[in-house]
Amino acid sequence: MVEHTVLCIGTEDGVSDITATLEGEPDLAPVGRTSVADAAEFLQAESVGAVVTEYDLPDGTGLDVVGSIREHAPQTPCVLYTDVRPGDIDTGSFGDAIVEYLNRDLPDAADRLGFVVGDVIAHSAQVGFLVPDDEESRLDALESYDVDELPIEESFERLTDLITSHFDAAVAFIGLIEKDEENFLACTGADWDSLTREKTICTHSMLQEDVMVVEDIREDKRFAENQQLHDLGIVSYAGANMTTPEGQIIGQVCLIDHERRSYSAQQRAELQQFAETAMEILELRQSLLEAAGPEVTA
Amino acid sequence: MSVTGAGPFELADLPLGPIDDGTSILLTGDDTDLLETVFYRLLSSQDDEGSLVLATDASGREVNRALERTVDGASDRSTVLTCTGPDSPENVTTIDDITDLTGIGMQFSSLVAESQETASRLRAGIILCSSICSAVDDTRSVFRFLNSNLLSQVRRNEAIGICALDTSADIGTSMKSIIAGMSTSFTGRIEVESDGPGRATLHVTGLGDDETYDVSL
Repeated sequence: MVEHTVLCIGTEDGVSDITATLEGEPDLAPVGRTSVADAAEFLQAESVGAVVTEYDLPDGTGLDVVGSIREHAPQTPCVLYTDVRPGDIDTGSFGDAIVEYLNRDLPDAADRLGFVVGDVIAHSAQVGFLVPDDEESRLDALESYDVDELPIEESFERLTDLITSHFDAAVAFIGLIEKDEENFLACTGADWDSLTREKTICTHSMLQEDVMVVEDIREDKRFAENQQLHDLGIVSYAGANMTTPEGQIIGQVCLIDHERRSYSAQQRAELQQFAETAMEILELRQSLLEAAGPEVTA
Repeated sequence: MSVTGAGPFELADLPLGPIDDGTSILLTGDDTDLLETVFYRLLSSQDDEGSLVLATDASGREVNRALERTVDGASDRSTVLTCTGPDSPENVTTIDDITDLTGIGMQFSSLVAESQETASRLRAGIILCSSICSAVDDTRSVFRFLNSNLLSQVRRNEAIGICALDTSADIGTSMKSIIAGMSTSFTGRIEVESDGPGRATLHVTGLGDDETYDVSL
C-alpha cells in the first residue's frame, strides 16, 4: 500500500490535532508545519499527496498555501480545515484556487477529515480537467502495455517524422496519458518528454471520439491562460485517439503548429489513420513480447 | 461518510425511472425555459430529502417558486446559493462574484454539511454551469470546481447531482468538446430538445437503457 504524505499547516495546537487525527488513517503520513513560509519550504523539497491547512496562519492564510500549490503542483488536493465560516474568508485573489472546505466545528469533524483526505487523494478530486468515468480501467489498460520493455521508440520516431512531413506541421508527437501526466514516446520538431496532465491539450482531446482541433489556443478558454503551452510555442493543435482493441483510450497522436491552423475533414481522417497505425505498432510489439515469454536466466 | 440503502430517488413528472444515489447527470439543451423545467423536476426533493441549488441567473425567490411549482413543500427542504438577488428568504445565500469559485465551493460544501443535519439524502444541482463557464477566464477552474464540489459530494453522500448547461451560450471554447468531455465524467446525460409549445423530447443516455421520451412541460 502506498503511503501518502499529507502536509498539515496550522498553529502549534491546531496542527497537532490535525496530524494526530490523520495518523490514525492507514495510508496517510501527516507532516506538520506552522506557517506559510515553512509550508512553502517543505513543498519545494517534497511532493505531497494532499495538503490540510487551517485558515489563519501567523504569516498569512491557508489560501496563500493553496494559491502557491496551484501554480507549482496544481493537481494536489487541498483541504481547508477551519472554524471560520465561508462568508468570513477572504478569497481575494484566490477565486480560482478551489479548495475542499471542512468546518472544524462540526461534531464529527475529525472523522470527516480522515475520510475526506483519503477520498480526495484516491479520486484525484481537485484536478483541473475532466476525468473519464472509466478512468481506473483505462489506466489498467495502459499499464498492460510494457512500454519500457518494448522496442517502439525508433518505430514511433519514424512515424512522427512521417506525420510531420505529411502535414507540413511544426511538431508531431505520440503521447500516452498516464494518471498525472502525459509521456511523449516520440516527438519530431521539439524535445518534449512529459507534461503535467492538467496542462496538456490531449487530456481534453482524449474525451472526444473524433479528432479534436484547436485552431488557435489563444482563443480557447481551456488553454488561453495556460502559460506553459504558450512557452512551448503551441498555437494550433490537432489530436487523434489511440484506442485499444477493447475500446480504452490510452494515448494521442498529435500535430502542433506555431501559427493558427485549420484541418480539413480529409486531414482529420488521415491523422486518425496515423493514430490507428501507432496503436497497431504498440499492439504488435506487445504481442511479440508476450509470445517470447519471460526471459530465462541461468 | 456515505450512507446507502434508502433506495433510488423518485422523479416528479418525468417518464424516467428512479435515479440511483451516486448518480451525476449532465443536462443539456438550447432552450433555457425547457432546461429549467426539467432541472427542477429532477432536483425537487421528496419528503425525506434535501436539495441544494446553485443558481447563477435566478434569485433565491425565483428558485423557491420553481421548486414549489414542481413539488409542494420542496422549497422548505431546500437551500439556495445564488449569484443574483437579495440574501433572502432564510434558505438563500447570495454570492457576490460568480467567478469566485473558491468562495462558492466553500459555501457549497458547508451547505451540504448543514443539509445533512436535517436530511441524509440530497439532490444537488447547478443551473446554469454554462454561465460560470462564460464568466471565468480559465475553464480549468470550472473543471476543478465540478470535481471538487458537485461530483465529490455526489460520490461521497447519498445524493444525486445535476449540472445544467445551456448549449446556446458562448463559453469561450468549443461547446461540442465541453459536452463530449463532461459526458464522460458524469454518469448520464439528458439532452432536452424543444418539440413545439410546451413539449420536449428528452434524449437520455447513461442512465440504464438509452431512451428517448416525448414529454409535456
